[in-house]
Amino acid sequence: VENVRLLDRLSSRKAALGTLYLTATHVIFVENGSETRKETWVLHSQISSIEKQATTASGCPLLIRCKNFQVIQLVIPQERDCHDIYISLIRLARPVKYEELYCFSFNPKLDKEEREQGWKLVDLKEEYNRMGIPNNYWQISDVNRDYGVCDSYPTEVYVPKSATAHIIVGSSKFRSRRRFPALSYYCKDNNASICRSSQPLSGFSARCLEDEQMLQAIRKANPGSDFLYVVDTRPKLNAMANRAAGKGYENEDNYSNIKFQFIGIENIHVMRNSLQKMLEVCELKSPSMSDFLWGLENSGWLKHIKAIMDAGIFIAKAVAEEGVSVLVHCSDGWDRTAQVCSVASLLLDPYYRTMKGFMVLIEKDWVSFGHKFNHRYGNLDGDPKEISPVIDQFIECVWQLMEQFPCAFEFNERFLIHIQHHIYSCQFGNFLCNSQKERRELKIQERTYSLWAHLWKNCADYLNPLYRSNHSQMQGTLCPQMAPCNFLYKFWSGMYNRFEKGLHPRQSVTDYLMAVKEETQQLEEELEVLGERLANLQKSQLSYNKVKSKQQDQSKQLGLSTSNNSLANTPQEYSNDLKSFPSRSPSQGDEEDSALILTQDNLKSSDPDLSANSDQESGVEDLSCRSPSGGGCLPSEDSGKDSDEAVFLIV
Amino acid sequence: EIHIKEPIEKEVNPHLLPGELLLCEASTVYKYIQEDGSNRGTYGKLVCTNFKIAFLDDDSASDDNEPQFKNKIVGENDITLQCVDQIYGVYDEKKKLLTGQLRKYPEKLIIYCKDLRVFHFCLRYTKEEEVKRIVSGIVHHSQTPKLLKRLFLFSYASAAPNNTDGRNQTVMFDTLEDWRDELERTKGNVKYKAVTTNEGYRVSEKLPLYFVVPICVSEESILKYEGRGIPIWCWSCHNGAALLKMSAFPKEQDDSTSQMQKAFLDGIYKTISKPPYELLKTDDLSSSLPSLQDIQTAYTRFKQLFLIDNSTDFWVTDVKWFSLLESTNWLEIIRRVLKKAIEVAEYLERQHTNVLLIEETATDLCCVISSLVQVMMDSYSRTKSGFQSLIQKEWAPVFLLLLNCVWQLVQQYPPAFEFTETYLTVLSDSLYVPIFSTFFFNSQHQKDTNTSGESLKTQSGPFRFLTVWDWSVQFDPKAQAFLNNPLYAEKPKPDKSQRKTARFKHQRQLSLPLTQTKPSMKRGFFREETDHLIKNILGKRIGKFINSSDEPPNSFREFYDSWHSKPVDYHGLLLPRIDGPEIKVWAQRYLRWIPEAQLHGGGTIATAAKILDLMEEVQSLQVKMDEEHSQAVSGGVHSVPLLRNSARLSSLFPFALLQRQSIKPALPTSTWKDLEDEDDLVKRDDEFVDLSGDMS
Repeated sequence: VENVRLLDRLSSRKAALGTLYLTATHVIFVENGSETRKETWVLHSQISSIEKQATTASGCPLLIRCKNFQVIQLVIPQERDCHDIYISLIRLARPVKYEELYCFSFNPKLDKEEREQGWKLVDLKEEYNRMGIPNNYWQISDVNRDYGVCDSYPTEVYVPKSATAHIIVGSSKFRSRRRFPALSYYCKDNNASICRSSQPLSGFSARCLEDEQMLQAIRKANPGSDFLYVVDTRPKLNAMANRAAGKGYENEDNYSNIKFQFIGIENIHVMRNSLQKMLEVCELKSPSMSDFLWGLENSGWLKHIKAIMDAGIFIAKAVAEEGVSVLVHCSDGWDRTAQVCSVASLLLDPYYRTMKGFMVLIEKDWVSFGHKFNHRYGNLDGDPKEISPVIDQFIECVWQLMEQFPCAFEFNERFLIHIQHHIYSCQFGNFLCNSQKERRELKIQERTYSLWAHLWKNCADYLNPLYRSNHSQMQGTLCPQMAPCNFLYKFWSGMYNRFEKGLHPRQSVTDYLMAVKEETQQLEEELEVLGERLANLQKSQLSYNKVKSKQQDQSKQLGLSTSNNSLANTPQEYSNDLKSFPSRSPSQGDEEDSALILTQDNLKSSDPDLSANSDQESGVEDLSCRSPSGGGCLPSEDSGKDSDEAVFLIV
Repeated sequence: EIHIKEPIEKEVNPHLLPGELLLCEASTVYKYIQEDGSNRGTYGKLVCTNFKIAFLDDDSASDDNEPQFKNKIVGENDITLQCVDQIYGVYDEKKKLLTGQLRKYPEKLIIYCKDLRVFHFCLRYTKEEEVKRIVSGIVHHSQTPKLLKRLFLFSYASAAPNNTDGRNQTVMFDTLEDWRDELERTKGNVKYKAVTTNEGYRVSEKLPLYFVVPICVSEESILKYEGRGIPIWCWSCHNGAALLKMSAFPKEQDDSTSQMQKAFLDGIYKTISKPPYELLKTDDLSSSLPSLQDIQTAYTRFKQLFLIDNSTDFWVTDVKWFSLLESTNWLEIIRRVLKKAIEVAEYLERQHTNVLLIEETATDLCCVISSLVQVMMDSYSRTKSGFQSLIQKEWAPVFLLLLNCVWQLVQQYPPAFEFTETYLTVLSDSLYVPIFSTFFFNSQHQKDTNTSGESLKTQSGPFRFLTVWDWSVQFDPKAQAFLNNPLYAEKPKPDKSQRKTARFKHQRQLSLPLTQTKPSMKRGFFREETDHLIKNILGKRIGKFINSSDEPPNSFREFYDSWHSKPVDYHGLLLPRIDGPEIKVWAQRYLRWIPEAQLHGGGTIATAAKILDLMEEVQSLQVKMDEEHSQAVSGGVHSVPLLRNSARLSSLFPFALLQRQSIKPALPTSTWKDLEDEDDLVKRDDEFVDLSGDMS
C-alpha cells in the first residue's frame, strides 16, 4: 500500500510518508525519498494487538502494539486498504500451526553441522555435572524416559538417590500435573539444594506416603541440615482456595521436619493486568511527575517484581547462610516457581551471571522444566487469558540486580533485551512449544536454529565492561538486602520505553567503557610488541655490532612515532568515535537476519568498526610494521605500506 | 535492654581547628548505631565547640581503616553547628522538639542534620550536671547567631594561617575585570558594558559592586530606582542573544508613582528592543514558577522522607514510596524549573531573542534559571572551574534546587560534565561548613562590611576567608579524585568554528580577597526571611505588550523534540529530558545514610570505582609506554637491566586484571567461613559510599 504515513508518537507533525508491505513473515514500512532508505520491519509474531481507529480526514489510522513494547501508528489513505491490512494482520499475527512461525523459514546460512553445534552449546547434563551431580546424594533418573510420568518434565530428571522409582511415581500422582519434586540447583559447598514441583493434591486432608518420603529423601540428601523449607510462592489466600479444588499445600504435621513458608507472588492474571497498567503510563505523551509516579505505583508492577525478588532472596539465604534445602512450588510449578528458582540460582552462583551461565539457567529452569512459552507469549493463536509476562518479569529482576550490582554480571542490558525480543520473535526454535516433549515431536532441533549460538557468536556486543570476574562479590552469593526496599527498584526505560519516539539514544557509560577497554587492550598489545622489538634489538645488537648506528636511527624513529600517538590515549579522546555508537535494538548485531525490528536510528548508523578506528589512532600499525623479523631488518620508509604485516603480527 | 559494654576510661580530646573553642562536654554518652533499633552502639564523649558538635568514640584509636574518602574538616561523628536541622529530646519514649530554655533534660538526644544524617545519643549514663550543660549548650549554640560576627567563620579566619591558594581557577566576579573578561568570552562586549556605578554601593546594597548592563542604559537610570527596572546582563549566547535579569518594582499603592515607574520601564524596554538589540521576551518568574514558599514546603516534605529514625519507620514509608514521593511535589518542581530553563534556551538559541527574567529581587529563581540555562548552553559551565565561576557569578539562595536540577543533567549526560555527582553532593554539604565564606553572606555589601569593618573599603580586610573551591582544604588528592569525572568528554582540540571552545584563561592574580559572595541565605538552603512575593503586574503587562513571539505555543515542544532526535553533542547545547520517568531522586545525596538502602558491593559507586580503576590502568600503561619509548631511544645501551626490568614489569602489569576476564569465572569453592570474609571485603570496597562512614 502506498502513501502510508508512519506517525511519530512524540510529535504528530513529523510523519514519514512511505509504502507498507506485508510479507509472509513481516510488516515492512519503507520511507519514501530520503537518501538513506529508512525501513521499519516488524515480525508478525511480535504483534500483540492491532487497533483500527475511526477514519479521519487524512485517512484511516491503524495502531499496532508489539510484544516488545513498540507501538506503531500508521495512517492509511483508503479505508478499504486499511481494512484489508487489518484483516490480514489479524490472521498473520495469530498463526494456528507451529509451521507457520518464522523459525521454520529462517535460514541463517549455516550448514547442518553448525546448526547441531549450535544446539549443543547449552548442555544441561554438563550443567548438573558442574554442580557436582551425580554424587553420593543425587542421581539422574530415567523414570520419565518417554515422558511416562510427567509430560511437561524433561526426560532426564535429577532426584535424591534414596528416592526410588516407586516413590517418584507415587509422589507424582499426588502432585498437580504430576510434576513431582526434582532438583533445580545444588550447592556443592554445603549440600543444600533447591528442588521444584507443583502443588500437592492435598485438599483439606489428603496424604500421600510416597510424597512424604520424597520430601524426606530431599531433606536427607542434605545431611548437614535437619529440616527442609517448603516455599509456596503463592499468596496464602490463593493456596487455601486451591484446597477446595482438591489441591493446596503441604500440611506441616504430615511431613517430618519441614518448615512451610508462603511468599505472596500474584498469579499470571494479576501480572498481565499490572503490565497493562504500566504500559498505559508508558504511552502517555509527556507524563508529569504525578502521572508517572502515581501510574507506576498503581500498576503495582515494581511491587510484583520485588515480591519475586524477595522470594529469590529468601531461598538464596536459606541455601547459602542456613545451609538448608528448599522445595519451591506454586500451583503448577511452571511460572512463579521458574521465576523464583532462577532468581535464587542467579543470586547464589556467579556462574549464572556469566553469559554462558545465563543461557544455561534459562534452559534449565524455564525451557527444560516445561514453562509454557507458547501459551504465555502467545506464539500461536490461543486463549488470551493464558498470556502473561512471566519470563519478562524474570528478565526484569535480572536487570534490577544489574542496576544494583553493576560489576557482577558478565553481560549487559542489551543481552537481556535481545533475549526478551527473541522469546516473542519465534525466529529461533528455543522457546517454541510448551514442553520438551512437544519440541521433540516437532523435531525443533533439526528444523530450526538455536538462539544461544546466535547470541554467542555476537557475544562481544553483550559484554559488560564493568564486569569483575575476580571481584569479591563474584566469588559467591550476591547479597542484596534481606528485602530490598522499594526505592531500589526502578522503572526500566531501556525495556519499556526503548522505542520512545524517535529520540536519539543516549550514549551510555557502558559504551564508553567498551571503547576505553578496547583502547587499553591495544595499548597493552602495543607494549608487548615494543617489548619484543626491544628484545630483538638487543639480540641483534650483540651479534651485529656493525649495524648499531642504523638501529639507533631506527629506534629514534620509533620513539617519535609513538610519542605522537600516545596523545590519543586519554579517555576524553573517545568521545568522537563514540558519537556514532548507536544504542542497539535487538536487530543490531544480527547481521544476517532481517527479521527484527529496525528502527530508523539503527539504519542510520551502523556499528562503527571500533578496532579499525583505534588502530589508526593508537598507531599500532606504525610501530609493529617495523620489526617483523627483528633488529636486522631495516625499517621501511613508508610505514603505511607495511600495515598489513603489522596487523598480522598483532593478531 | 541495652547491652552495656564497660566504658573504657581514656582521655580523648577533640581535634580543634584554629579558632575553635571547646564550650562544653559530657562523658559516658552512648551513641546508637541506628542500623536496626537493636540498641547497639558505642560509648564516648559528646562535646560542643563554637564550630561543631562532636562525638568522640572511647575506642576510636582502634580504628585503623582509613576510609578512602574522608573529609578533613568534618569527621564522621562531627556535626557543624550550621548543619543541625532539628534537635529532639526523648522523654519517656516521647519525642519533643528542643528549643530555647529547657526545664527538664531528656534521656535521649536526637539530632537531625541538614546533610540528612540522624544521630541518636543516650544520656542516661551521663552525670546530671553534664547532661544539663551539654544539652543546653548544643541547643543554644546550634541556633543561628544573631550577629554575623559570631559565626565561626570569623574566629577561624583570624586564627588560621593565611592559606591563600593561588592555583584556584574560579573566577570570583568581584572585579570589573572579571566581568569584562566574561563579556569578552561570550562576545557580549559589543552591546553590553560592565559598570562601576555601584562602587561604594551608591546604587544599592543588594547589588554587587560591578555588574553588566546594556550599553544604552545610562548611569542616571541605574541610580534612579536603586537598580530596579534595570536589565542586568547574565550571559550572551553564541548568536548574540542575551539572557538578562531584572529586579521588578514592588506594587505601588500610589498611582502616580506607579505611572512613573511604568513610563520608566517603557523607556527601558523601548531602548533595549531596538536594533542592535534583539527582540525581547520577558518572563516573570514569580508568576510562571512555584513560589519560594512552595519550593521550601516541598523540600521540607521531601527531606522528611529520608530523615528516618529507625527501621520500622523506614519500612512503613517504603511501602508507599512512589506516592509519598509524588506527594512531596519536589520532583515536579525540579521538572518545572528544568522545563522553564529549556524554554529560555529555546528563545535564545532558536528564536535569537533576548530573554529578560523578572523577579522581585532578581536573586532567587532568576539565578536558578539563569545558571541552569548557562549549564545547558555553555559547555564551559560544565567544567569544574566554569561551574564554580558560574556559582560565583549567579549565586542563588535557592542553591539546593539548582544543585538538584544540575544533578538531573549530570545523570542524564555524564560525559558532558567535568565533575561527578559526588562533587555536587560534597558541594551541598559544604554549605554548612562555616570556614568557607562562600555561602555565608547575603550580599557582597554585607561581606565587605563584615570583612573590613568599614563599609566603603573593598580591597582587602583583616580577614582572609577560605573559599569552598579550594577542595584541598577538605579532601586529600586521593579523595578529590572522586570529584572528577573520568569519562568527561573534554573538547579534543580547539575548534575555531565554535565559539564556546576557548577555555577561559585567567591572567589575573587571585591574591585579592579570595571570596566574592553574592547574596546568600543565612541559614538553610532557603532564605529564612523569604520576602513575600509581589506579583509583578507591570512586568507581565509589558511582557505581553513586547512579546515578539507569534509562534505557535508548541514551538517549545518542537525545539525539545528535534533536539532529542539528534545525537548529543556534549560540548554544545544540552537539554534535559523532562518526562516523568526521567526525573529521578538524587539517591547519592538522599539515601546515603540509610542502611536499608545500601547495597554491599553494588550501587553506582561500584561503577565509579571500576571506572577509576580502568583509568588508573590506562594511565599507568601510558607511563609504561613512555618509559619503554625513552629506553628504546637510548638504543639498548643498558641491554641487560632493561630486559630484566621489562620482564618484571609484565608480571605486575595492571592489565592482568582484564586478561583474566576472558577466563570463565571459577566455581564457588569457598567454604562458608570464606564467604563471610568475602563479605567483609565487599563492605570494605563499599566504604567510601559512606561519606562520613558512620554507618559501616
